[in-house]
Amino acid sequence: MSISKRLVFGTGLAAAMLASFGATAQDQFTCPNQGGDLIVGLEGAPGTLDQQTATSSAVRNIAMNVFEALIIRDENMAPTPDLADEITTSDDGLSYTFKLRQGVTFHNGKPMTSADVLASFERYKTVGVSRSIMTSVKSWEAPDASTFVITLNEAQPAFLENLSSSTAPVVIMPAEEAGKAAGQVEIIGTGPFKLAEFVPDSHVKLERFAEYVPGNALPGLSGFAGHKQACVDTVTFRMLTETAARMAALETGEVHIVESVPAISMERLAAVEGVELLTLDAFGLNIGYPNWSAPPTDNLQVRQAMLAALNMEEIMEAATDGVFQLNPSLQFPGTTYFSTAGGELYNQNNVERAKALLAEGGYNNEPVVLLTTQQITTMYNTALVMQAQLQAAGINAQLQVYDWPTALATSEKETTGWNFFFTHWTGSAAQGGATTLRNLAAPANIYKPQDPAGDPAYNAAFQQVQNGATVEERAAAFAEAQKVTFENVLAIPFGVMSNVQGIRSNVEGFKPFYNTRVSNVWLQP
Amino acid sequence: MISFVVSRLLQAIPILILVSLIAFGIIYLIPGDAAVVIGGPSATPEELEQIRRNLGLDQPLHVQIATFYINLFKGDLGRSLTLGIPVMDALIARSPITIGIAIYSLVLTIVIGLSTGMLAALNHNRWIDQAATLFALLGVSLPNFWLSLVMIVLFSVMLGWLPTGGYIPFTQDPIGWLRTTTLPAAALALLQAGLLTRITRSTLLEVLNQDYIRTARAKGLSEWIVVGRHALANVMMPVVTMVGLVLSVLLSGSIVIESIFGIPGIGSLLGSAISNRDYPMIQGGLLFVTTALLLLNIVIDLLYTALDPRVRVKGR
Repeated sequence: MSISKRLVFGTGLAAAMLASFGATAQDQFTCPNQGGDLIVGLEGAPGTLDQQTATSSAVRNIAMNVFEALIIRDENMAPTPDLADEITTSDDGLSYTFKLRQGVTFHNGKPMTSADVLASFERYKTVGVSRSIMTSVKSWEAPDASTFVITLNEAQPAFLENLSSSTAPVVIMPAEEAGKAAGQVEIIGTGPFKLAEFVPDSHVKLERFAEYVPGNALPGLSGFAGHKQACVDTVTFRMLTETAARMAALETGEVHIVESVPAISMERLAAVEGVELLTLDAFGLNIGYPNWSAPPTDNLQVRQAMLAALNMEEIMEAATDGVFQLNPSLQFPGTTYFSTAGGELYNQNNVERAKALLAEGGYNNEPVVLLTTQQITTMYNTALVMQAQLQAAGINAQLQVYDWPTALATSEKETTGWNFFFTHWTGSAAQGGATTLRNLAAPANIYKPQDPAGDPAYNAAFQQVQNGATVEERAAAFAEAQKVTFENVLAIPFGVMSNVQGIRSNVEGFKPFYNTRVSNVWLQP
Repeated sequence: MISFVVSRLLQAIPILILVSLIAFGIIYLIPGDAAVVIGGPSATPEELEQIRRNLGLDQPLHVQIATFYINLFKGDLGRSLTLGIPVMDALIARSPITIGIAIYSLVLTIVIGLSTGMLAALNHNRWIDQAATLFALLGVSLPNFWLSLVMIVLFSVMLGWLPTGGYIPFTQDPIGWLRTTTLPAAALALLQAGLLTRITRSTLLEVLNQDYIRTARAKGLSEWIVVGRHALANVMMPVVTMVGLVLSVLLSGSIVIESIFGIPGIGSLLGSAISNRDYPMIQGGLLFVTTALLLLNIVIDLLYTALDPRVRVKGR
């Protein structure tokens, strides 16, 4: 096996990234100011910080400042080595060799070796959230303390993309912890901050890890990779699940950062002295999917009629109070896999066409149950407007409103009783590629096809997204999968939601991202 | 007295049996497959089976019920799926927080409710009476969720007197504890204070019309002594009765209030458990809170008996 395809800093990739930072490799970030307690107001309250087994954004907001992975996504969502300094792919695409960053120690003082990496991967294979990405792995080994090798059953060009997903990262922990069951681990990582205190439903306190060894290939923070520094002494994540209370805490200065400012509060907060608002333009995809098992949405023409009837601008305006972009795609504009294939079916707003399709499909006024929740305003408002639009097109649309866990469980488990489910794709849309499409493919099949194999055209395209030898091939396959999604209505994207984050004006270095990053952030005295 | 306590404990048994059956049945009452909810979309069929085994759902129903009650008698409420620690440990650890706020709230309720009710009764049909009645009406009408947010805006944002939320343990900083618990306690108290105002007002008005009060006034006793010594004791009866109800409402209201103010008490623990479908915690929490309230109400009844000699005589 000859060595090829090094994913190493110092290549053109890194040079391009360095150029984007406007710095040389020697210009590593240093904290302009050190000290203080940075306080973050969180929307969600995590019950655990076991990052390998948790899917929620609330956990990532905290845990990704404590843990690191071999490879993660950068600012542009490209796979980027983090705990690995160098990643080499064999010519036949069957094995990946990871050279570990040198001198790294865990928060308990233990030096990190490949044995810890192997144990962490073994654990992820057993209890990890996205352990399905490991099904293509034949074996792994640690030939020496600095090297970790993964061998696949068959070549999978998108393997590093899958492995680097930041929605369910394979974070590295000490081997002694890696043998523990889900939620039972001590929170010991390699990141710039270590866990000091965790009081569920109250707060999490992180403190600077003095022995942290950052990566030196990038000059600064990029995604959750790069040259990370803990500028503040401590970070306190306060769980303020009530939105109004969280905004009030930002206003009074009790917190420095809040992750999500609702549209209704933006104007008021923008006028408050000492508060700044930062926007992440493409934060999430407002999306929904039909139930192919339940009549009448088991009928293609009925599904197509629903899609034809929708006015996405009206829906997104109501859902987001005007903070949105129309987007005929399952990806964010400007990203690697972005395509408008099938987009002519998006935002048709064509009641006549919808009626014609209903007639063609023999629709007989059967109820179309829109399953939603009032707990998430965007989803609920989307459902309300969609109901009105469907009714205007002659569809007997009815709402079924549950609390979020019940609505989600119903959509996952039940094949009857609902016809359309509303959700958001944030992390999965941002990751791109196969990660975005995976839920619509077998075995997930969230749209509940009657044949468990699912839509053959979609599945064929998805396989190519996973296995295409080049990014161009995979992007073309993605476009095909998206076209099938629109034509056969596996899902309906409504539009892109932005996310506005609020900070106090004495906070410097903070950049909004899909999850909260407290590295390279400092407080002005 | 002992026979009274035994009798009340025996009366509590059917209630506990009913609540425990409901607690057991929660896994079946909530829509969806518990194993799927816990395992998530990535779970393989084998993993779902393992989850069902862990929860005991693979056993016949009569075995599940027997296991549930055997564990219950051992004090084993299971292990939290979210926190990964025994349910009982989590509940006991958080109890002092919620109890502390509940007691603070109860004190506020009694002080505000009693004083406002007495003022209203003693100034019957004057503006003070009407103001107190309005206060009582607002207290029972305004949802404490909304009231909490208004209080945050007023006392935290506009006046800057109190923090918007969070919790500082009393043992760590008593003043900090007072500052962080005043708004949540007040939000919980105002509803109950409104109720107590009305009950105090109507009871005192009734008592003040009694012959022995007229006699006391005729004897030339000051109004303070008439009200304080002769009337108040009889007003306390319904107040004591209300305390049990008030504490029940305070504990149940803590689910919302603790979530708003970010307080890590039993209320937020149960709220999170419901959101996360942490079935052992929901079951254990329901049993824990119900048992605590039943015992509390027995204590209230004992207090009532101690205060009212007529009940003691009737009880013989």
